[in-house]
Amino acid sequence: MSTRSLAAWSASGLVIALSTSNPVYRAVVLLCALNLLLARGRRGSGTRLLLVSIGIAGLIATLVTLLLSHTGQHVLVRLPAGIPAIGGPLTLEALAFGMATGLGIAAALLAVAPLTLVSQPHELVDALPAPLARTGAAVGAALNLIPGTLRSAVEIREAQRMRGWRARRVVDWPAVAVPVVLTAIEGSMTLAEAMESRAYGTGARTHFSIQRWARYDTVVSVTAALGAGGFLALVVTGGAPGWFPFPVLSAPAISVPALLCCALLVVPSLQVRR
Amino acid sequence: MRTISFAGLHYTYPETASRALDGVDLEIDSGLTLLTGASGSGKSTLLRVCNGLIPHFHGGVIGGSARVLGREVVRAPTRELARDVGFVFQDPELQAVYPSVERDAAFGLENLGVARGEMLRRVGDALEMCGIAHLRSRAVGTLSGGERQRLALAGVLAMRPRLLVLDEPLSQLDPEGSAALLATLHAAVRAGTTVLVAEHRHHLVLERADRCLLMAQGRVTPCAPGRPVETARAAAPRGSALPELSWRLRDVSAGPAEVAVLHDLDLAGGTGEVVALTGPNGSGKTTLLRTIAGLLPPLSGRVERRPGRIAYLPQNPSALLHRGTVRSEIAWTLRRTRSAGRPDAVLEELGLTAVADRDPRDLSTGQRQRAALASVLAGDPSLVLLDEPTRGMDDAARAALTAALARIADRGASAVVATHDPQLVSAVANRVVDLADGTARERRSLTAAAR
Repeated sequence: MSTRSLAAWSASGLVIALSTSNPVYRAVVLLCALNLLLARGRRGSGTRLLLVSIGIAGLIATLVTLLLSHTGQHVLVRLPAGIPAIGGPLTLEALAFGMATGLGIAAALLAVAPLTLVSQPHELVDALPAPLARTGAAVGAALNLIPGTLRSAVEIREAQRMRGWRARRVVDWPAVAVPVVLTAIEGSMTLAEAMESRAYGTGARTHFSIQRWARYDTVVSVTAALGAGGFLALVVTGGAPGWFPFPVLSAPAISVPALLCCALLVVPSLQVRR
Repeated sequence: MRTISFAGLHYTYPETASRALDGVDLEIDSGLTLLTGASGSGKSTLLRVCNGLIPHFHGGVIGGSARVLGREVVRAPTRELARDVGFVFQDPELQAVYPSVERDAAFGLENLGVARGEMLRRVGDALEMCGIAHLRSRAVGTLSGGERQRLALAGVLAMRPRLLVLDEPLSQLDPEGSAALLATLHAAVRAGTTVLVAEHRHHLVLERADRCLLMAQGRVTPCAPGRPVETARAAAPRGSALPELSWRLRDVSAGPAEVAVLHDLDLAGGTGEVVALTGPNGSGKTTLLRTIAGLLPPLSGRVERRPGRIAYLPQNPSALLHRGTVRSEIAWTLRRTRSAGRPDAVLEELGLTAVADRDPRDLSTGQRQRAALASVLAGDPSLVLLDEPTRGMDDAARAALTAALARIADRGASAVVATHDPQLVSAVANRVVDLADGTARERRSLTAAAR
């Protein structure tokens, strides 16, 4: 699949995930993205690490909302009022809203993830339209961060092991994380320097090998545009209702047209399944 | 129009007080110019001015005049200068943009908008010139450090620059590769390209250089071309009279990603011995070191080691450095290995006292390499494994390393050093093992001569 059609798909998923508060639509985006990643993710591209990180981000969003929002009628537990910020009732409504927020974050991140986990970083650099070429060095550097971090994590853990130490407890991890991040950033900066030094961003580029645009790329791009455009239109006209669980928890309303718009995101995965 | 014309050039990196370049006056018209000088003297900084990475990429304060090919560097961004100025960095591992050799070599040409047919021809020529045409279809990730170095050069040569700037291009090349690269540079000079090379292994470049420049404390002075610079040498390790076995490989086949690059090796090293591993780029030196270290399990066969701590210096020294100062790096190793030594002794031995309180990541490549070396050698390990330890090192640092290896051997520890540096081999090795085509061959024993 062409990187440009994949980028169109990601943009569509992102638009839907961020334009609604309804957890049902967010869940559909998340499932479509997850399906695509599992079906087409590159081996060793860090999919597992990304999923764990997204899971943690979603969990944190849920917990923060649960602990800080003391609104709602169904009280699960009461923390002593003397505890700053989190003291007070913890409600079922806050828990549900927190989960919906976490779901939204996870869906948005997963919608963008295929750009780095399905495509090769250089394919994305190639796919950038000419007006955005100037930002290519930054894009290249940013894209190098994920594989760079994984690479440096292995090197640094080995090096530390050879110096007689191994991170065993949570408190030990900063000693690994800090050099891992610094090394990855240094590597990305060097890559950006190298790209700039080889005239990246000078003007219109030619291509050594051409990325093919297949008929299926057109299908993916058109369905992505239809899905996002249709969903936005429904949101604006009230055809895709959002969801707000306060003050009393209620089931989210589902609109079939909006659901169909979200479901169009499954198209890229169908090519693999044939 | 001069190719390089610097007058009263000074430069200070952001958030630092001292000048990295301090009144550089330099005029270069053509030919091959060698730039040498101690680690941290400002060589890499000066080279980066030539293609505008300084100041455009790094920021900082620049003053005086810097003109390259008639253009004021301060006004011409790097991407514009890159049309005429090719730059090969010190870290070839981090320069590749594309995953395949041929594709990566074409990256610069794509950016210049060269037509595809012409691109294919130029890429083929450049790979041929750099002696890596046979690697054309290989994945960049499978190349050795030296092969990547040549790829980086090919990518730049394909762009046919008028000025070619290279930062330590020989640091990871085997003798054959070094000779080929120098021949390539000479051919480029004959074709009209001006070449500026910063290199610690200056004896290799001097013969072919038209001029030699010495950099010290941010200033440039001429040095005589064609005259070899004396390299400090320390006494080679004596070697134990009756060495005990320190490590041994029995019928070992090994390689990354479960692909064997070493086949059925039978090798051993004794206490008090320094074994030099040599061989062309990609011959498996790093794989062998990692196998001895226990970082890479053998695919078949057995690895035996005497009990005791193993010190391993990887090719990328940054992987080792994570403390705030060089001193605390050494102290950390001493603490983790429960050793009684003092950081100051190690700092002094490797000539790092002056930078003891600096952040290792702010040091030059050569100084950083020494800091990494100090942090693994601290605490008297029983087996020392060094992968290209002289990368980016100046003469003084090389002499300090030689002395440190002699001390290691004298106290009965064992060392294995993978290197392309013949000076280091002759200075420290009791035995030399050549790796080629997955097999090992003992070239000669130096123990008797060393005694």
